[in-house]
Amino acid sequence: MSVRIQGMGWVTPLGTGLDEVWERLMNGERAEPREIASADSTHKHFYIPVPPKSVESLARNPRLRRSSAISYFAAAAGLAALENAGIRMTPELAERTAVVFAISSGGVIYTRKFYEQIVKQGANAASPLLFPETVYNAPASHLAALLGVTGMSYTLVGDQSVGIAALKCVEQLLETSDIDRCVVIGAEEVDWVLCEAYREWRLVSPARCIEIGSNRGTLLAEGAGALVLAREGRIGIPRIHDGVAFLNRREAAKAMTRIHQELPGDVDAIICCANGTFIDAAERAAIEATRPKSCRLAAKPQLGEALGASALMQTILGAIGLEKHNANAALISVLGFNQQAGGLIVAR
Amino acid sequence: MSLKPASREVAIVAAGVISPLGRGLAETHAALRAGRDCVSPITRFDVSKCRSSTAGQIPNEWLDAFATTRRRKRLHRASKMMIAAMDELVQQDRDFAPELMVIGTTSGGMTFGEAFYRSLLHSDNKRKRAAWLANYNPQKPVLDAMEAAGFSAPAQIIANACASGTNAIGHAFSLVASGKYERVLCGGYDAISELVFVGFDSLQAATQEKIRPFDKARTGLVLGEGAALIALEAFDEAVSRGANILAKVTGYGISTDNYHLTQPHPSGIGPRQAMERALASAGRKASDVDYINAHGTATQFNDATEGAAIEQLFSERRTPVSSTKSMMGHALGAAGAIEAVISLLALQRQFLPPNINFNECDPAWELDVVANESCDAEMRCVISNSFGFGGTNATIVLEK
Repeated sequence: MSVRIQGMGWVTPLGTGLDEVWERLMNGERAEPREIASADSTHKHFYIPVPPKSVESLARNPRLRRSSAISYFAAAAGLAALENAGIRMTPELAERTAVVFAISSGGVIYTRKFYEQIVKQGANAASPLLFPETVYNAPASHLAALLGVTGMSYTLVGDQSVGIAALKCVEQLLETSDIDRCVVIGAEEVDWVLCEAYREWRLVSPARCIEIGSNRGTLLAEGAGALVLAREGRIGIPRIHDGVAFLNRREAAKAMTRIHQELPGDVDAIICCANGTFIDAAERAAIEATRPKSCRLAAKPQLGEALGASALMQTILGAIGLEKHNANAALISVLGFNQQAGGLIVAR
Repeated sequence: MSLKPASREVAIVAAGVISPLGRGLAETHAALRAGRDCVSPITRFDVSKCRSSTAGQIPNEWLDAFATTRRRKRLHRASKMMIAAMDELVQQDRDFAPELMVIGTTSGGMTFGEAFYRSLLHSDNKRKRAAWLANYNPQKPVLDAMEAAGFSAPAQIIANACASGTNAIGHAFSLVASGKYERVLCGGYDAISELVFVGFDSLQAATQEKIRPFDKARTGLVLGEGAALIALEAFDEAVSRGANILAKVTGYGISTDNYHLTQPHPSGIGPRQAMERALASAGRKASDVDYINAHGTATQFNDATEGAAIEQLFSERRTPVSSTKSMMGHALGAAGAIEAVISLLALQRQFLPPNINFNECDPAWELDVVANESCDAEMRCVISNSFGFGGTNATIVLEK
């Protein structure tokens, strides 16, 4: 069964409008990195934030008043995707709608704050207001409540490939249940401790920019991408790969090549996951082995590496590209840091 | 919202488990039969500033038995738990080659994240940081278990709070039942961490006393830990290759209750919908159910809503109910998977697992609680409930 895209929405460091962000990407604009540091560490990092004004309209929503940035990004992207699909949610529609989330780091800001309270002030000082927001499925819960969804809600976790796993999960839900549509969202926020962790892994760049092929590292980014998927819609996703797991970087390159080989057919473009790390070489090798003359679009140097949100942002880019350029098909290429390679085809 | 009718039956062909109740199915069965209280004082971190101080914990020496190489010794406890469960499962059915893994968890290798944060604060243990981080992510124990078993499969890792394990099994069931996959390996894992322990303590959801699900004098939950895996296969395929059929998964229900991030709707509508949908999916009536393995955390809110939902739905027959968390605590993302294995054992061995520490049923409902001692019972159909933060509710149906 081919799932189809009815609506799309995102919250990115370059804006929230589909056309606006597309134009800025095509103009070569890069989102502005910001320095982040903590008194608890001697390191300073660069990351790419979402401008707060992008989600300020949600600030007075009572359900979100205590939530972390990730829930704001997710809710804003999800609501935008529904609006783009022309869907005004009613209890009847909500009854037949599912919510699926893709998360890599999740509510890392509140998680770090909560544990900081435990360590610095003692367990008896830890705030009960923070803990529930540290749970991976808190953003999904907030969005389900905003939409009135009472049925299926799933939060999937993993590396960057989790967005593809979430889309696969949606395909499965549409095939095995009587739901009419699914809102699928990938969302992430950034905290200094997350940057410290990726620095320890030697995956983040000490510089203010991402250089593809340099292997100097990436810049972590905030944001969310959302799709409304159904059995009918304006863009199809005819093939979503199950994914190929790997245990080390050598296997990662092979996994990426297998994904490209097993996603059949001619494509007009490949929406790449290259991000300034080891991933670049693995992806380049996969493309050279399978579709060496293909047109490639890599947006992470401009938007940053938004981890669990990144594959959905790539899928949105591919779908917009098909609409803007009257093209037929694009391959979304995704290699995670430490779990899986994945991919899919978007087609008109 | 409901699952499409199953196009074929789904067999359980192997299972593996490790929890405070024991290593493997045999020890788990013995502990359940004996109604053993496996909750003990916390030893892994300082709880002097917490209200609660106990949990169901897996002894380190149990896990060390699976850390047979230098590399495995560095793994997180969660990975060792998954390897232990996988080891038992593979020994039962060496020919089971999953096309997909669906695994539930809530916190991955959280204690390594805690260690990393503390090392940043104290500027120490710099050499250990990389290993901690490499084993921190929720996907790592899944990959480690695959490596230990010698296969590789794509994975979907579900983090639906305390319903994760049941969601994982239910989703896997729907994939095999629909004919999309022949073999799916599913389950869940979670290891106790300071952050999560203090989290429940801060919410005053954890008790200083014994955990007493459905009791009038219940005062809250106790945390636990563990891992459980179940191998699901299309029934006919399993029979044709001569696999040992342990039981069948026949239904799955899921619902979302939007009342509050951490509290269920007082009416019990969330749990009730999950159970109703699971029974509909299985093509069963409430009166067909012989035993309910309840979520039963012993918090005021959970038991009030689950008790009300069970009473509403099963009033005709007063189906026996127990919460096996009374013996081992609440293993969060692993709970649903472990309790599915417990339900499987109950079906196979024809007994009702007990709800220990039970004195007097909450007068709010009339439930047939399996009080304190296990007993023999003829059973063909059981359900297992799991509910979580975010209003996620899930129920699966198992049958002989």
